[in-house]
Amino acid sequence: MKTAELAAKLGATIVTGKAGIDKEIKGVYCCDLLSWVMSHAGKDSAWITVHTHMNIVAVAVLSEIACIIIPEGIEAEEATIKKAVQENIPILCTGLTAYEVCCIAHDCGI
Amino acid sequence: MREIALHILDIMQNSVAAGAGRIGVSVTAGNDTGMITAVIDDDGCGMDERTLQEVTDPFTTSRTTRKVGLGIPLLRSSCMRSGGNFSITSQKGHGTKVTASFGKDHIDRPVLGDLAGVVADMSASFPKIDIRLELISGEECFTYSSAEAARILGEVPLSEPAVIEWLKEYISEGIKHIFGGVLDEIAG
Repeated sequence: MKTAELAAKLGATIVTGKAGIDKEIKGVYCCDLLSWVMSHAGKDSAWITVHTHMNIVAVAVLSEIACIIIPEGIEAEEATIKKAVQENIPILCTGLTAYEVCCIAHDCGI
Repeated sequence: MREIALHILDIMQNSVAAGAGRIGVSVTAGNDTGMITAVIDDDGCGMDERTLQEVTDPFTTSRTTRKVGLGIPLLRSSCMRSGGNFSITSQKGHGTKVTASFGKDHIDRPVLGDLAGVVADMSASFPKIDIRLELISGEECFTYSSAEAARILGEVPLSEPAVIEWLKEYISEGIKHIFGGVLDEIAG
């Protein structure tokens, strides 16, 4: 499933415009310890995290993450969004919890 | 990272890459200050002002100066998240000093972790570098130096498995003695 399609299913806001929205999502990964994500997240995953620091974009680039999903109505920092656009990493913001995002992703066949 | 010890290991590896002959690790924790502070300083090649300003930026560092990587940004955010602070100072040709503090009782503080293992393994892996450890709490202090340990051992190398095991136990005892009853995760 493409990032834009998942965003629609989640009712999430894509805060990074058109950057990377055609990327194919192959799995979902959920963890907030960035070093752990770097060593465990699968390539092309949609990654759910409550962090909003620019470091998440660096981790996403290194781990070849398809998109970042920020749950529970948390807003991303301006600098993070700017960097994500440059690096072609979509950021999706949603009011759902990480668990609800996982359930919907599962129902979508991811 | 899950443990402060792993952050320390990461910074020590930067010191190795900087060609240090001495790496000092000092960990101070006290009930009075409510903080746990780790200082890693070395006599390596150091950095100029420009590089120093770039090291906390995950992009500049991971792209251009590979030896630094995401280690510093991750340590910095871990400190800030736990009500602590982070600073790095360096002098080209003289060395670098990283100071990382954490709120001792902050809920997001990583555990101290296997600091004994890190120091013992680093001592074994880099016998030419003097690896020093200092643990401080109140009036109590524990010190270790791999150069001094090597001098006492004489012919026996620090990389000898039995020596590594002994070092781990010795340093673990020091940690228990100094931080027992000070850090939640270490029984007093």
